Amino acid sequence: MVTENTRDKFIEAANRKKILAHRCTTCGHLMLETVLFCEKCSGSKFEHAELEGSGKVVTYTIQAVAPEGFGDAGPYAWVVFDIDNAKLRASGFLPGVAEPKDLPVGAKVRVTGFDQKHGLMLQKSS
Amino acid sequence: MTSKVCVLGAGSTKYGKLNESIIEIALNAAKDAIESAGITPKEIQAGYISNVFGVADKQVHMAPVIMSNLGISHVPGLTIESACGSGSVMFREAFANVAAGFYDCVLALGVEKVTHTGTVHSTTLFSYCSDFFYEGGNGASFPGLFASMARAYMTTHKATEEDLANVAVKNHENGMFNPKAHVHKKITVDDVLKSPVVASPLKLLDCCPFSDGASAVILCSEDFAKKSGKPYMEIIGSGRGASPAAVQGREDITTIPSTVAAARQAYKMAGVAPKDINFAEVHDCFTIAEIIDIEDLGFFPKGKAAHAVRDGATRLNGEIPINPSGGLKSKGHPIGATGVGQVVEVFEQFTGRAGQRAVPKAEIALTHNFGATGASAAVHIFKKVDRK
Repeated sequence: MVTENTRDKFIEAANRKKILAHRCTTCGHLMLETVLFCEKCSGSKFEHAELEGSGKVVTYTIQAVAPEGFGDAGPYAWVVFDIDNAKLRASGFLPGVAEPKDLPVGAKVRVTGFDQKHGLMLQKSS
Repeated sequence: MTSKVCVLGAGSTKYGKLNESIIEIALNAAKDAIESAGITPKEIQAGYISNVFGVADKQVHMAPVIMSNLGISHVPGLTIESACGSGSVMFREAFANVAAGFYDCVLALGVEKVTHTGTVHSTTLFSYCSDFFYEGGNGASFPGLFASMARAYMTTHKATEEDLANVAVKNHENGMFNPKAHVHKKITVDDVLKSPVVASPLKLLDCCPFSDGASAVILCSEDFAKKSGKPYMEIIGSGRGASPAAVQGREDITTIPSTVAAARQAYKMAGVAPKDINFAEVHDCFTIAEIIDIEDLGFFPKGKAAHAVRDGATRLNGEIPINPSGGLKSKGHPIGATGVGQVVEVFEQFTGRAGQRAVPKAEIALTHNFGATGASAAVHIFKKVDRK
């Protein structure tokens, strides 16, 4: 059984540069969120699964007009990425990207931590 | 077995920046719908209200306030929220309750008032409709989320920013003929491409405006409609669908699963196919959304919509006119009202009130509206009824 405060645990893992997911112990299906029943097999037992905090960009946007709380963040991208070695995607905040040419689809990114203001922090990697 | 449900009357306020309170805006649309149906409020047996950000104008639990102001405080009401899809999701509940025989005549009303909060705060409020921990909380605004879908679509299907711009140009063209539209401004592809970037690749003119406004319709049983002596239309198909709340949860980011599912149900119930639809009002909160919608609704094969739009297939005189009202893009997007406003447009088209934006000989039409990036969606299909 996955315990309470899942988001606190996700944040704690992100600060160790990992992504916390949950694996159905019956069928092995991976999910980011805590669910009571597996969406594939309806199994009800899950375990924590720490995934690599790295992946490849699937799509993204560069927010020219930033929402409240992100006005002081400088140019940044909101990125959806395929997590390495897992059939699962996550999203994060990638600072320092000003132009689409700076971030081709397929580029590699990795998790650097979790910021209370800006969420799951990413950086480009090679 | 359910019985036939009809739309007997319809009304909308102008969409745009409105100064009245949210309740006054709602009442103006309710009055129009009630008068258009030729009924008195006493004939209404239940009120269905859709709204998202009533809290921004200091009013939630809106249904009893609206019913009281219509002089029918004894009539039960219900307020429904499903982000930008609230109107159609609520309409579906109103439809289902009449179809099930609980009521003969109900009011379905959507309303929103946000412009007084300003663009920055409205953007923030809207971001609460996303899966916030992964999306809004990591810096994505709604334009940003749809921009990520646009980039995925453009990468997969080799579409261009010009292709997206064509949608905006067409909808602004239609909106010129809609006196209640928020934005009356003819634009060119070049205007769109040169407008400031909001969230790349989307620019200001790829985005619908923040709008205030209300739309209302009267739904009733077929018997009730026949006895009224007024023009009406029949709801022949209704479908709902759902998608993973977050964009990251979707295997294919170039399609919206909730639309596909809702459309499949609605077509099946109506016994019609996409080729039988004479025009459609679809959810074009951003230009990319309309491209994805018209593929998901089956009007064009996957990856082909951009070409179809460029070739004029979706214009008023095209093979399948899309958003004759001007769509969310030009008519405006008061999010709680939008799904009902689409039904109002179909009613005006079928009853000869669409003026210069009339789609000739239209008899079957479809409305499509979703919440957030398509986490929830509803599709409805309507048939014109000719009075003997």
